[in-house]
Amino acid sequence: MFSSELKKGSTEMLVLSLLDARPRHGYEIGKLIEARSGGRLTFALPTLYPTLLRLETRGWIKGTWVEKAGQRERCFYRLTPKGRRVLADQRETWKAYVSAVNDVLGESGA
Amino acid sequence: MRDWTTFVRSRLCLTGLTPNREARIVRELAVQLEDFYRDGLARGLSESDADGEACRQISDWDRLAEDVRLADRLHAASRFDRLADSLDVAASAERAGIRGGARMLSNVLRDARYSLRQLRQSPGFSIVAVLTLALGIGATTTMFSVVNSVILRPLPYPQPQELVSVVEILPRFGRFSVAPATFLDWRAQNSVFEHIVAYTGGNATFVDANGPDRVINAAVSWDMFELLRVTPALGRGFSAEEDAPGKANVIVLSHGMWQRRFGGDPGVLGRSISLNGAPFTIVGVMPAGFRFPSRQTEYWVPLALNPANATRGGHYLGAIARVKTGTSIEQADAEMRTISERLALQYPENSAKESSEVRSLQETVVGEVRPALLILLAAVGVVVLIACANVANLLLVRGFVRAREIAIRTALGAARRRLISQMLVESLMVSLIGGAVGLLLAYLAIGPVQTLSAGSIPRVDDVSIDGRVLAFSLLLSVLTGVLFGLAPAVYAGRVGILEVLKEGGRSSTGTGGRWTRSVLLVTEVALSIVLLVGATLLLRSFSHLTDVDPGFQPERALAFRVALPNAIYREEHQRVAFYERLLDQLEALPQVTAAGLVQALPMRGDYTLSFTVRGRPDPKPGDETSANHRSISPDYFKALGVPLLGGRAFTARDAEKAPMVAIVDQSFVDRYFPGEDPLGQGIDIGNGTDGFYEIVGVVGNVHHAGLARDPSPTMYVPFKQDVFSSVWILARTDGDPAQLTPLARQVVKSVDPGLPVFGLTPLATVVSDSLADRRFSLLLLALFAALAVFLAAVGLYGVVAYSVSQRTQEIGVRMAIGARRGHVLSMVLTEGMKLALIGVAIGLIGALALSGLMSKMLFRVTPGDPVSYVVTAAVLVAIAALACYIPALRATRVDPIVALRQG
Repeated sequence: MFSSELKKGSTEMLVLSLLDARPRHGYEIGKLIEARSGGRLTFALPTLYPTLLRLETRGWIKGTWVEKAGQRERCFYRLTPKGRRVLADQRETWKAYVSAVNDVLGESGA
Repeated sequence: MRDWTTFVRSRLCLTGLTPNREARIVRELAVQLEDFYRDGLARGLSESDADGEACRQISDWDRLAEDVRLADRLHAASRFDRLADSLDVAASAERAGIRGGARMLSNVLRDARYSLRQLRQSPGFSIVAVLTLALGIGATTTMFSVVNSVILRPLPYPQPQELVSVVEILPRFGRFSVAPATFLDWRAQNSVFEHIVAYTGGNATFVDANGPDRVINAAVSWDMFELLRVTPALGRGFSAEEDAPGKANVIVLSHGMWQRRFGGDPGVLGRSISLNGAPFTIVGVMPAGFRFPSRQTEYWVPLALNPANATRGGHYLGAIARVKTGTSIEQADAEMRTISERLALQYPENSAKESSEVRSLQETVVGEVRPALLILLAAVGVVVLIACANVANLLLVRGFVRAREIAIRTALGAARRRLISQMLVESLMVSLIGGAVGLLLAYLAIGPVQTLSAGSIPRVDDVSIDGRVLAFSLLLSVLTGVLFGLAPAVYAGRVGILEVLKEGGRSSTGTGGRWTRSVLLVTEVALSIVLLVGATLLLRSFSHLTDVDPGFQPERALAFRVALPNAIYREEHQRVAFYERLLDQLEALPQVTAAGLVQALPMRGDYTLSFTVRGRPDPKPGDETSANHRSISPDYFKALGVPLLGGRAFTARDAEKAPMVAIVDQSFVDRYFPGEDPLGQGIDIGNGTDGFYEIVGVVGNVHHAGLARDPSPTMYVPFKQDVFSSVWILARTDGDPAQLTPLARQVVKSVDPGLPVFGLTPLATVVSDSLADRRFSLLLLALFAALAVFLAAVGLYGVVAYSVSQRTQEIGVRMAIGARRGHVLSMVLTEGMKLALIGVAIGLIGALALSGLMSKMLFRVTPGDPVSYVVTAAVLVAIAALACYIPALRATRVDPIVALRQG
């Protein structure tokens, strides 16, 4: 749908924002992105999983193994305080970027 | 449903992660794949379709592994990691689908990267291995840089292989300086040399604004610069016309003298300067780094031999030549021998039985030190071997620890060749890092080595790390890497999967591995014994040498030199008057108990003259008797501390016009007047023109040619009856001789303000300097031996400690069924000591076989000296016992319960 170059820059932000609401496990994150984007955004496991590890290594998210009743044990990721700050920053930057891009497109379209 | 964990584990090859981390990642990926599978089932897919869909989620496992590994690394990557990453070409090359040679390179790079991570994961092993190799490679590189600069590097002249030295061979003395008339005949009659030149070193007083100073010079044949093919940096060399008596008032400066005394002024050419009171015109300046015949030479003047009065009896010239292109040194030698033998027949009264020898100049300069340097290089090579054996042992032990990893990787399909190459790359990484550190050590060691060897090794100032040394240390590093990496690599290739896995990877010491390690250890001990025996032999030689009574008392005496310029002190009586005033004033000082003069210091070499005894038939030509000759002042023996054994010492009355008298030493009496009373006998010294000296006294023997040589017969004459223009003054004191230094300068200045004092040295230093080359060899060999023994001890400790750690359970069982601590202790000790003793025995045999090589370096010790061997063996056994005792003690502290539970 979108080129991988375009997606690359936003993957981290998407993951962080999905974890803003509550902790989720890896499979759930992939499926949520796909569902919320109406299937326009999909991230394959080989892309998504290293991203999770990278975010965790940076200390922005934290994975914990949890066994819920009737379910298999899974690794749930939650935002760390540091991750929350980073996400806020990224949202600001993203909005500014999108509005700048829109302005440019709007001008040239007019 | 398939086991997703196994599925992931078998496909994802993660390296460089901790096992826990790796397990977590595998588990999580498995969970997610299972999610995909269950999701598929939930959507109504068949089991096999759902399975297929889940499996297809990950197509490029290698890439995933790489991405995971990169993502997992700490955000702030260490320098080490960045180094490893720079080797990450491998993965990208593979991704890009490069094959063939590039793929091999990428494999090597990937192995290198992997090794770096392995090394970081066991820092203890890495540091010990790298340091061990750094010590070995560093010491060897240092020694090689000395050998390279001194022996291997050609002399710094164009076509150095054509340069030769030519010496006379005298029937009694062997190689000897050349007589002027002989040199002139050689020059006229030879057809093999492009040039042959003569030179003689000297010194002169040079006066400038800083006062008088003594400068070392050389008088040389006019074409010496042409022979060496070195053109002056400024001006010109000498012309043939200037190489003649009365015309030789021209001078060529060394670069150093030009800089120091003329401030590098390019306008010095044509300037007239005064040397020894005579005027000289500066015609040239040599380039920096030109130093011939000695590194101290500050300027050159023409030799200006006078054919009319050149003699054949006085040998004082050095001669060098350049053979014509196409002529070999052997041919030159043959022709010169023919010429010399013809001259010997022609002039039997002076040159009977004389011959000559032509040798390569390089050989002449460094030939004497070559054996010692090569022995030292071999010794340090042994240290490297021991270091290799040590690291090989470490790697082997580590190889067993990693046997499980290797077995699993083999089981998963890793090719053995790849495993072996992986192990070799790993040992090469260790050796290259060790080599780099070693090179740094060598760079730091060169300064101290130069200081230590100053005066005992020619060309040592030129020692540096050049391309050849770099290549040597690189080659050495690679060789050591392959050498010590080979055993573990072969082991890795042979490792049995089943055995290792069956044993749970815990106690995987196969008999083969233990055997290899024992052999390595025995080798280490044996090699270090060889070095230690060598060092002990040198040490005992040195201690025998320092025990030798030099025949005088070196303590509390100062020596210095004065040289009277011929232009000012023309007549003998002027020189005598100067010396008398100088000695009187010195002795008048309250600090000075005695002062004397002599033309040549003890320990610095013989100065021999022939003589005949009154009433005995003249010896046949070639059979002349000769002895050391010293011209001395009356208090010389008092100042030097030599006992008078009979007769009398010289007095002030033994002057020019008085009857000629001589004093001889005990060895002279023993050789020439055995059983006779020497007092009253007459000896004719020199060529018989002066008449006979009557022997009036006998003194103790003095070592004139060094402590290692027996004192040669010596005859002393009063300085007023044989006046020299350059002498050594000795002043004895009750206190520190160094305190006399300013006083000595003052006294000389008060007698002649224009005269420099030089060569100021405490007499004790003269003696210790004479041992400098032996001290150098001894110190280095002792250092290498100490290093070797240390490494061997560490190796022994390591092997025994490892063996104890592997046998914890066995020891626990033994103790549980009643073995006493003493029993366990002796059991472990015995195991280590058995190896050590075998090594000692082999080492002693090896040392006995090799020590003959150093017989020339020994003094009053035979190469088979039993004391040295026994002491060495005892020392090594003691050290080995200590190295085994520590782990053995640890073995006795094994708690049986804990040990058994571990099982």
